[in-house]
Parts: sequence; C-alpha cells; structure tokens
Amino acid sequence: MKAILRVALGLIAAIGGFVDIGDLVFNTQAGALFGYELLWAVPIGVVGIAVYAEMSGRVAAVTKRPVFDVIRMRMGLSTGLIVLVASLFVNLLTVAAEIGGVAILLQLFFDAPFMLFALVGALGLIVIIWITPFEGIERLFGYLGLILFVFVAAALHEHPDWHAVGGGFVPNGKSSTLYWYFAVGLIAAALMPYEVYFYSSGAVEEGWKPSDLLVNRLNAVIGYGIGGLLSIGLMMASAQLFEPAGVEPDHLGTVPLLAQLPYGETGLVLALLGMLFAIGGAAVDASFAAAYSIAQFAGWEWGKYRRASGAPRFTLAWLLFFALGLAVLMTGIDPLDLTEYSVVLSVVALPLTYVPVLLIARDRTFMGEYANGPVARVLGWVYLVVLCVVAVAAIPLLLATNAGGG
Amino acid sequence: MDERFDLAYRLLDEQIVDVDGRRCGRVDDVELIGAAGEPLRLSGLLTGRGAYAARLPRRLRALGRKLFGDDVRGATVQHVPWSQVDEMGATVRLLGRAIDLGLGREDRGLQRPFGRIPGG
Repeated sequence: MKAILRVALGLIAAIGGFVDIGDLVFNTQAGALFGYELLWAVPIGVVGIAVYAEMSGRVAAVTKRPVFDVIRMRMGLSTGLIVLVASLFVNLLTVAAEIGGVAILLQLFFDAPFMLFALVGALGLIVIIWITPFEGIERLFGYLGLILFVFVAAALHEHPDWHAVGGGFVPNGKSSTLYWYFAVGLIAAALMPYEVYFYSSGAVEEGWKPSDLLVNRLNAVIGYGIGGLLSIGLMMASAQLFEPAGVEPDHLGTVPLLAQLPYGETGLVLALLGMLFAIGGAAVDASFAAAYSIAQFAGWEWGKYRRASGAPRFTLAWLLFFALGLAVLMTGIDPLDLTEYSVVLSVVALPLTYVPVLLIARDRTFMGEYANGPVARVLGWVYLVVLCVVAVAAIPLLLATNAGGG
Repeated sequence: MDERFDLAYRLLDEQIVDVDGRRCGRVDDVELIGAAGEPLRLSGLLTGRGAYAARLPRRLRALGRKLFGDDVRGATVQHVPWSQVDEMGATVRLLGRAIDLGLGREDRGLQRPFGRIPGG
C-alpha cells in the first residue's frame, strides 16, 4: 500500500512538473495563431520526451549512470566537452528565461521593477532548494504545478467542437514557414533536455534500483502523457478564446486571461499561481540540470542528498547558474525572446545527448536483461530520426520567421 | 589480476569512488611505465582538470591548457597508484579514502562555509 502511494505521489509530481515557460509560450501562441491546427505536434513531443526519459531513467536505475555520466563514458573527453558546453549554453538561456518568467508573473501581483523581482524570485527559489530535500522539491513544484489544470477546465468550459479538435491531430501540410516554426517549437518545448538530465540524476538521488523500473515506466508514460494534456488544454483554450478575438499572446501576462475569461478573478489567480510554480520549478530543474552535467562530467561529488557541505562544488555550480541567469536578464533581453531561443536551440543540441543514452540503453553488456526491448528499440530509433529532422529544420525556421515574429 | 580488459573502454573516463563511496574525480588519463620493447606497467590513474589538455586534439591543446590549467602533479592532476584500485565496475572503487589520496581537494575549502549555513 505504501509502495502504491509512493508511486502515485511521484506520478502526480511528474504530471505537474511537465509544463514550463516554453510550453506556456509556444502552446498559447500556436493556439492563437493557428487554432487547433498544430495540436498534432504536442503528442510527437510528448512521446519523444517519454521515450528519452524512460531510457535514461532505466539506464540510471540499472547502471547508476545519469545522462552526463553516460556521455563522458561513451564519447570520451573531447567530444563530451563539446556536448557539455553546448548543453550548458542552452541550459543557461533556459534558467534565465524561467527566472524572467517568475519575475513577470510577480509583477502582475505587485508593482515593482522587473530586475528586483528577478532577484527576489531567484533568492526565494534558492532558499526553498536549500532547506528542502530532493523529493520535497520535486513534489512541491510538481503538485502546485497541477493548478495549471485550470486551463484544461477552461478549454472544456468553452464546449469545444470535438470534430475540429480531432482534425487538429492530423498535420495539414501548410506551406507557411510560421506554421512549421511553431510545429518545431511545440515539439522542442515538450522535449527540453534539462528535464531528462534532472530526471535521470533524480533517479540516482532517490537510489532507484531495477525494482523501480515499473515506477520509471509509469512516470514516463502516464506522468508525461497526462502532463501533455496540460499543453493540449492550453492550446485549445487559446484557440477558442484568443484566435477569434485576434489576441496575440506576446506577453506572459496574457496567458492567464484564458482562465479569467471563463472563471473570473478566481480563474486568474489560479492560473497565475499554477504558472508561478510551474515556471519556478523549471528554474530549479534547469539550474540543477546544469550542475548535474558539470559535476558528472568532471567526476565531482554531486547530489542534493549529500547536502551542500557534502557536495560543495555541485552546490556552487547551481548557485552560479542562478547568478548567471540573472546576469543574462540584466542585459535587458526580453524573457519571451529568451524562451524561444532556449527552446529552439535546445532541440538543436538534443541529438548530441540522446544518442549516447540510446546506445547504452540497448547495450546488453551494461544493461543485461534490462536492455531496450522491441518497443523501446523501435521508438528509440524512430525518435533519433525525428530529432535529427527537427534539429536540422530548427535554425533555418528560426531565422526565416524572425523567431516567430513573422 | 590475470583478466584481460580494455583500458580505454573499461577504465578511461570512468567515475572514481573512494572506500566510503564518495565520488572523487574521473579517470582522466592513465600512466603507463616502461621502455620500448619491454613490458609496460600500468602505474596508476591520473585525475584532475590538468590532465584534460593532453587528451584534446593537438590543435586545441594550447587553449585547453589555458582553460583547464597545466599538468601539475599534486595540484591540478592527482596520481592514484594502481595498487589503490579495489574494484572496476560501474565505478572505479579505491581502497583508501579520498582525503588520504589527495583527491577532492577543491571541495574541502567550501565544505566548512556551506556547513555553517543552516540546512547546508
């Protein structure tokens, strides 16, 4: 019974931890611009993150090796270093974007300068991380992120035309570059790699063993699957409320209106809180992901379970990423632009970290009986192709559409 | 050990763990000793950022030395005698403690200040 409860609690956290600023931005913008027409891109991204997370969680549970451990071992020092630098760069943009998102949301509650709230938000998150154990961090932000289901309720409240919704799950071969830019952005936003570095390192933090593989599979399939519903809800609500009105959500503060229109003040506050915890949690995950990457690459002691004094350089690394994120924001770059760049550049770097995980997950010398079965094998290779196509298409589309600016 | 093993595949780049299970570096290089035509002996593991530059492509080594530091034994690179290696599996486990082998030094300076903060 206790075991079932533990599984359920972890699963709920996985659902709530799925959405970050990238999903919020791309899903609402896609809905506002193209209605239901881009819904098909969401499941492609969600299945992709589930495949990648399942493999990396399984590798971590069986071999005790999280993603950057695998990268260093399989790619060696020189190639591994290139992958590390590329990952840290996009990770930094992500940390900055998420802190910026937190600051924008705080500004909607209180009236004060943006940079002050960025600083307050970052310090608040640092204090929460410092005093909370690993599982507590994961659950706190995961559970409170579930408030985002208010957007799913808003989508259903408007009595969607289910026939049109169903049609959105079939790509319609439009020739507009903006349409394809958003398709790539939606897939990329669901597939943010920092989530996987965090997830696989978390498996080691929590001491997963092969007996935890069922939990891993449930987290990947059900946790991310239901998490994907949040994205679909956002896009549907935006398609119903923003598209007909011609609203272009080019400010993060526009997004909560999706809940305010049907539910008034309560909806607005719920939406803001849900977004605050989802984005704040993502800032934590992304800065930890960066610290995990460096520590695992260099062989330093790491992990929240070691406490700050037990893993000092790891601790210094995540603190540094909060500081660097703030420094990026101080340049005055718009957090929404940062979000788009971080999402699109992430997907360009993604195959670099996906390939070593795929190679070790299928390797019987490391994985024994837990190596990729037929389903994981087929999906693993199919997604390698999908990722490469998306990665190659991402930059030209970013430039051609001026980052979605048209 | 009579067993044959692949130095690059099984040893190089692996995580080093001390007798207490503390992570204390990676096998950034290995040191072989011996003259031409004579049997080579694996004298030990090298770990630390000072060992990075030598493993980069030739053209990038100067840059590597600038970024990660020169190879200074006892400072940027630690030599762990092969006789100290207890086991090779998912990690390379040592017989001694990191502190006695000069490993994880950079962590030590920060340990106390972090430990002083409540919750650290």
